[in-house]
Amino acid sequence: MSKTHWNNKGFTRRNVLAGMAATTALAGLPRRARAQEITLRWWSPQGSPAQLEAYKTQIASFEAANPGIKVQFETTSDEGYAPQLAAAFSSGEVPDIVTHLPSFALQTYYANDLLVPFNDVIDTVGADDFYPGANNVYLAGDGKYCGTGIGNSAANMLWVRRDLMESAGLDKIPETWDELRAAVQAMQTGGIFGAPLPYGRNSMTSLIFIGFIHQAGGHVFTPDLEVDIDNEGTRNALEFYKEMREFCPPGATNYSWGESLTAFVSGATATGIYTGRVLINVNTQNPPIADHVTCVTYPRMSTDISPWTFNDFPSVMIPAQSKNIDAAKKFAAHLFQPPGYIQQLHAAPGHVLPVLRSINENPDYQDNDIIKKYPAEVDLMAASAAGGFNLGYESADHKSNDKAGEIIASNAISDLVGRVILNGDNVDEALSAASKTIEGIMKG
Amino acid sequence: MQAKTLTRLERRYALLGALLIAPTVLVFCAVIVYPLVSAMYLSLFKIFTPTLEGGWVGLDNYHTLLGNPEFWTALRTNIIWTVGTLTLQILCGVGMALVLHQNIWFRSLARSLILFPYFVSTVVAVLVWKWLFNDLYGILNHLMIVARLTEFPIDYLGSMPNAMISVIVVGAWKYFPFVVIAVLARLQTIPDALYEAAKIDGAGPIARFFDVTLPQLRDVLVVIIMLRAIWDFKEFDLIYLLTGGGPITSTQTLPLLVYKEAFALNQMGMASAYAVVMMAIMLFFMILYIRRTRTEEDT
Repeated sequence: MSKTHWNNKGFTRRNVLAGMAATTALAGLPRRARAQEITLRWWSPQGSPAQLEAYKTQIASFEAANPGIKVQFETTSDEGYAPQLAAAFSSGEVPDIVTHLPSFALQTYYANDLLVPFNDVIDTVGADDFYPGANNVYLAGDGKYCGTGIGNSAANMLWVRRDLMESAGLDKIPETWDELRAAVQAMQTGGIFGAPLPYGRNSMTSLIFIGFIHQAGGHVFTPDLEVDIDNEGTRNALEFYKEMREFCPPGATNYSWGESLTAFVSGATATGIYTGRVLINVNTQNPPIADHVTCVTYPRMSTDISPWTFNDFPSVMIPAQSKNIDAAKKFAAHLFQPPGYIQQLHAAPGHVLPVLRSINENPDYQDNDIIKKYPAEVDLMAASAAGGFNLGYESADHKSNDKAGEIIASNAISDLVGRVILNGDNVDEALSAASKTIEGIMKG
Repeated sequence: MQAKTLTRLERRYALLGALLIAPTVLVFCAVIVYPLVSAMYLSLFKIFTPTLEGGWVGLDNYHTLLGNPEFWTALRTNIIWTVGTLTLQILCGVGMALVLHQNIWFRSLARSLILFPYFVSTVVAVLVWKWLFNDLYGILNHLMIVARLTEFPIDYLGSMPNAMISVIVVGAWKYFPFVVIAVLARLQTIPDALYEAAKIDGAGPIARFFDVTLPQLRDVLVVIIMLRAIWDFKEFDLIYLLTGGGPITSTQTLPLLVYKEAFALNQMGMASAYAVVMMAIMLFFMILYIRRTRTEEDT
């Protein structure tokens, strides 16, 4: 039967091949139809499990409201986003939207025409709803915004444990470096170290040490962006940072954000230096100390110097090479919609703080166990972050620095710390080398 | 007439030969020649990585590179790492291959398990080792403190020379199974008659190793050393993930410097210059090595 069937004139080999080709083409049709759907690629270095859950909610609600648009989330990292984006930009295979990068990264990309202006997204979200000045850090040279903030962060808060302070006979949380040194010395006992300051060759060391420079009244650049890291403040900061080394765990020479956070949360150090992520981590990973932790702005050399909070201004940006800019803008605006945005903020309460006044006042946002348990701490972090700075925006008087990202990535500042503190190199020579490296980057 | 037909046939064979070899040549050009020429070409420009835009600078990148102390420090570090980890890999690899060649219990299982480090992804291996090395929770420090070998935790990755030693040890642990596989395969082909003859001549185990085993392993070791030296010299992920090149620049090898130039400082032209110089250095050492081993063989 089958032989007859195949020998039938209607089923020549040519016909069979033609049929197979037609079937393949038909099979391709739905794929082509699917190809008409837009898939947005969303990158972020913030990818804790709770945050991923919040992103899923935001994606689901966006996809439901916008049939034909899919969103795919991909995690990058704080240390790895710069090379990943450099490779993406150079290959043209860019994500459609990137969130939670520090503001100075955006300035670098925008200055090289790699991002689209964000003014219309800010208007869609509601420019008046942002805290006053919240978007100043994103103002580019052409008067447009290169992105906007998806949150604020106070990354260098001093975290302390009241139980350890009490045991050490301390009743005042340190405000100055002298008080901090005395406090960590008193609390460093019984296998607990004083502080988890980073001394590694990484961005955390650079970013935290820039805070110390400012807490000593120094700066890295003049307001006109002339390199001026060799100043009295930097020298004092180096000296104090060196003194603090003996109160840090031995492995702090290789610490970055994760190790520093874990050291405090696990109870291995008496103080910590981090954002509000400490709160959720302490409550979930080490509940016995949860009732004893609190935070203040990091101490400075003297009370005459104003506190300097490091805010990396977690951002939203859209690469200019994206093939779906309109859809990406729509999704960017959607990220600020209350139910999803609040869930995202609640994923690590106090870690990423709201940039919209309406969200902060929203009862749903306030209705969170951590926020209710630590109202003073969350309020302080919000206020500190709102007045915070970073290397791309060192003070209100400073011009925006679009080379800040490259300076951090070059490790020029963490190498300065390592050379002086770990190697015991001559301070003048180390400062001169750091200045030279930074000047080289500024000249391009 | 016959000659004419043969010529046509020869031509057709020649054409067929060219056609058959064409895919290989094309693939070779696509994956070897093109990237190589591109890297050399890029090294003559000053290029901003994200946009790949820039201008011609000629040999300026090479001039800057050779005058940069960081390059020479990285080269020295690269050589220390390569020699250190390669030596350990060879010693451990040959030693383990000799053990696994013996008629021991669970030999098959042991032969399978020994490959484990080589199969584990570098990221996972580094994470495991970082936990082992951890100053506060690491098992190494815990055991040493319990055994009263040290009073305080040892800083394995953040101080010198500990960081370099740690990186070398982890590298050796990760890659020595490659040596084990290759040497074990060769050991199994050495004729027993050679050992029996050596025994009759009164050679003990050590003499048999140096007079029979080692000469028989020579060819395979030459290849292993060459391959592993090339792979170790350009090793990036293991060192980058373990120390990031620190403390300061103590474990910063040339591949890390290439990465830093390309993606941290966004200088793709300079990064290409470093990569080209790296290749030239490897080529120089490999030619030297091959010529030397050939000369020894001839003598």
